[in-house]
Amino acid sequence: MSGAATALAIGGLFFSGAALAAEPGAAVAWWWWPVGLFLVSFALGVLAVLGGIGGGVLFVPLVGGFFPFHLDFVRGAGLLLALSGALSAAPRLLRSGLASLRLAAPLALVGSITSIVGALIGFALPVEFVQTALGFTILAIAALMWLGGKDDRPRVGSQDPLSAALKLHGLYDDPASGRVEWRVHRTPAALAAFAGIGVLAGMFGLGAGWANVPVLNLLMGAPLKLSVGTSGLLLTVIDTSAAWVYLHRGAVLPMLVAPTVIGVMLGAKIGARLLRVAPTHYVRRAAIALLVIAGVRSALKGLGIWT
Amino acid sequence: MAVPEEQQLYARWLDVASRVGLAVLAAMFLVYVFKLVPAHVPVEDLPALWTLPLEQYLEQTGAPTGWGWLTLLGRGEYLSLIGVTILCLATLLCYVRLVIALVAKGDRLYAAIAAAQIVVLCVAALGFLAGGH
Repeated sequence: MSGAATALAIGGLFFSGAALAAEPGAAVAWWWWPVGLFLVSFALGVLAVLGGIGGGVLFVPLVGGFFPFHLDFVRGAGLLLALSGALSAAPRLLRSGLASLRLAAPLALVGSITSIVGALIGFALPVEFVQTALGFTILAIAALMWLGGKDDRPRVGSQDPLSAALKLHGLYDDPASGRVEWRVHRTPAALAAFAGIGVLAGMFGLGAGWANVPVLNLLMGAPLKLSVGTSGLLLTVIDTSAAWVYLHRGAVLPMLVAPTVIGVMLGAKIGARLLRVAPTHYVRRAAIALLVIAGVRSALKGLGIWT
Repeated sequence: MAVPEEQQLYARWLDVASRVGLAVLAAMFLVYVFKLVPAHVPVEDLPALWTLPLEQYLEQTGAPTGWGWLTLLGRGEYLSLIGVTILCLATLLCYVRLVIALVAKGDRLYAAIAAAQIVVLCVAALGFLAGGH
């Protein structure tokens, strides 16, 4: 399949799902909704892999902005979506050494505590405020993705005392460059960053790979591949903590969660197969553009300008 | 070996738990969506309800919070929640196994970190902070 055909197929799936959403609730049969959600989630799954963007960060603003579901339920589904994807990928990453349990554990502890706090804040605040804040957060994420740098193998001088005490160093085998030795620094600053990441993940139901990777890679100095892998492992812990809050509050609707999770996971498998032929650079730009649209829509909806 | 033994162990447990969780979620959702068992909220009524804020949804449907859904396990939507719960329990189970491995290895610092994580996950899972029991 050519790059253009891939892009058209993804766009077609997304808009066919979104078109279903355009019709007010009672006018269509109930089963159109899970079907529409499945199609949109499938397209987002493909897009997420090809664009290197987490599915959750696309799902919550898009579905929250363009579908009639209340944001409380969309955030619950978004969190479960991010959690399921991370759970599926983490075992392979751990076995290969591309995720480090040792590196993740202290950061996950802080992030999981604050993700619970974030989820509680999200339920306590008026939905208009959460929707507006979500919109502006998504726009900031889009800017971060557009401008953000990355470093395959950052140089780390001496470790700070906490990094050394936690023995945050190790080895992994990279098929491209052989055995890679890594160590990190600035762990206190990273713990503070993960406290903030946890709040955002819990509050908005977003997977937080967009923030995890820069903190691990650029702040702590972990190699990029290890950062990406460890980010997935971190999501399994941080999102689990917040997901319990949503589950106990009654904000997890299986009619939304199951088609979303199944759709994104199937889409991600197709996306992985298309990686070799798809124009990933352009797809990533398209995904960022989609984030901007979703962010603007969410902010305007929250402000009551575009309801 | 580049990958520590406890990490391999954690990966094995996580793999099994997440596969089981996803399989149960998908299977139970089919049972729910094809109406093989009755639902607590008829699926035809959902489009008028999922637009409501959570509090109103709970009020109008009488849907339970916390672990209350366990009393409605014969209903389609709550069967599906079994899969979601397994996914949410996966990390907790892995951490319990991890602590045992770390204690056996003599890595007290990381055993303490993992134990603290278990406490956080248990508090979240028990629903004390979420306001549902």
